[in-house]
Amino acid sequence: MPLGSEVLRLDRVGKRYPMGDVIVDALVDASFTLNEGEAVAILGPSGSGKSTLMHLLGFLDSPSSGEILFEGRPVAVLTESQRARIRAEKIGFVFQAFNLLPRLSVRANVALPLAYHGSPPADAADRVSRALELVGMTNRAHHKPGELSGGQRQRVAIARALVNEPRILLADEPTGNLDTKTAAAILDLFKELNRLGRTIVVVTHSPEIAANFRRQLHVRDGRVTEGGSA
Amino acid sequence: MNRLFSGVGNGFAEIWGHKLRSLLTVSCVMLGVASMVLTTGFMEGFFKNWEDSLQDQGGVEKIFVTAQGVKERQEPFAAVSPGLTLADARALRALVPQIGVISPEIDAARPRLARKGKTFEGRRGARVMGVTNAILEINRYEVATGRAFSELDLADDSEVILIGSKIRETLFAPGEEPLGAFIDFNNRPFRVIGVLRKYERLWGDYNTLDWKNEICFVPVTTMATKIQRSDRLSFLNFKAVDISLLREAVDAGANVLAQQHRGIIDFSVRTNEEQLASFASTKASFVIGGSAIAGVSLLVSGIGIMNLMLASINERVREIGIRKAVGATPFNIFSQFVAEAVTLSLLGGTAGVAVAVGLIKVLATTLPPGSTPLLSPSAFVVGFFFSVAAGVMAGIYPAIQAAKLDPIEALRYE
Repeated sequence: MPLGSEVLRLDRVGKRYPMGDVIVDALVDASFTLNEGEAVAILGPSGSGKSTLMHLLGFLDSPSSGEILFEGRPVAVLTESQRARIRAEKIGFVFQAFNLLPRLSVRANVALPLAYHGSPPADAADRVSRALELVGMTNRAHHKPGELSGGQRQRVAIARALVNEPRILLADEPTGNLDTKTAAAILDLFKELNRLGRTIVVVTHSPEIAANFRRQLHVRDGRVTEGGSA
Repeated sequence: MNRLFSGVGNGFAEIWGHKLRSLLTVSCVMLGVASMVLTTGFMEGFFKNWEDSLQDQGGVEKIFVTAQGVKERQEPFAAVSPGLTLADARALRALVPQIGVISPEIDAARPRLARKGKTFEGRRGARVMGVTNAILEINRYEVATGRAFSELDLADDSEVILIGSKIRETLFAPGEEPLGAFIDFNNRPFRVIGVLRKYERLWGDYNTLDWKNEICFVPVTTMATKIQRSDRLSFLNFKAVDISLLREAVDAGANVLAQQHRGIIDFSVRTNEEQLASFASTKASFVIGGSAIAGVSLLVSGIGIMNLMLASINERVREIGIRKAVGATPFNIFSQFVAEAVTLSLLGGTAGVAVAVGLIKVLATTLPPGSTPLLSPSAFVVGFFFSVAAGVMAGIYPAIQAAKLDPIEALRYE
């Protein structure tokens, strides 16, 4: 995939939903393009609509208006199963709360997306090992998430997001539950991954964290504006 | 296929994660399947016993003629009938071609068997019958050693006797040769010409066929002339040549007998048919009743599984959200939950079959003979199949609920 080619494009995307009696516009006319190899921070205070944007980018939610295109194809026409397939094969998610399955071992957690591939790759075991190596968690492969520290858990979650070699990595407040030192290490990991060519989108409320990324998108009251580069 | 196995694997992990809850559910299914297998086992044991006893009475082609009191309006003339005699047997033989073997039988009243100071005291005393070789065929006896009666034995009213295995064991020492020896029957010496096979069908320690071993046969002519001193028969049994000629044989036989008895109906002609019909209808109603009981128990186990699955989904909303976020399709989620339900019911089903086998083995040794349940392979297959079916049916609704969950809501869920 050539560097700079388009991965995701939003065309005047809006999202509104009822909250009690009021209709909330969580997102209004958001238009931007995410290209291969970019490192983007989506910056906004809590309640600004950045989580909604994140869910839309991962097709976990559908827009009320406008169009989202993945690799140039509109997402709206896909069935839920087709979207799930794209999530399994081309998108990696990292959450603030790690969201590991507590009863599965680290290895099994990392392998989870591979089970949902159309045809499970033959080198699944290798891929899991490589992903764990990349985040430096090889020696904890057989532990349960409960036996790990917050930083280690987030590394496992990142390994899980990377195991399917996704075109785009979406991270929602990945350092929100971590102390400053651990957060810095995780940010270094993201930077390293981007240097290796991975497209990365990080959602955060913290300008300091956003400053680590070349491109910034500001979200305020549901409106997305292009921010300055760090 | 691979997916299914990984689903079952996940199922095991999930079951292990909630040991107590899973144990309760598995017990539900186990009790359901065990009660089903056990109920079926009892029914099959009961009917097998009944069927065997029908066979021991000579099967369906057999026709019984017994003496019976006459109707009131014939009472003044009853004396003109000679009753059931050897002559009836000869008449049937000559006149009814639909009849195959005919067995005229005289049951000796209070027989006494003795040899060298030893007497036979069986469970109900010995039974000595005057017969022809036809009884061997009709009532399924075999001569183990020696011979059956010859034409001459019957023509000469010979004092010869065929003895049952119990009689031989009692009156003869082990290793002593019974053939050619004499035993006293009502103070008359009879020469032993044959020993009958030993019959055995055990229910625990009890041999239900012992009555076949406590019997002796002498020629019916000898019994008539020398012991009973009349040729009046106790029973006259015969068999139709073929089961399709049963009705004709009964009607023709009844006609000949009425003629012989000068119109006095002092006998009845019966077949095993009524017994067979009642056997079939009883069996049918038992099968329906038994299925209903088994159905209810499986329904209960199905509800148990569904309850567990619904509870487990509420607990695992977040897990479902995570799985969806990393790419699980609704069908993936659906099949995961169905696989868990199937795993639970398979475990329960296996345990249920094992429990049922154990119980049947124990009951077979403790219950009185004739009412013990039978290990029936078909019951296992059916019990197993239904437990899995109940698991799938009970798993489908919760699995659909799980598959429908909105991933965002699920991820937010704490």
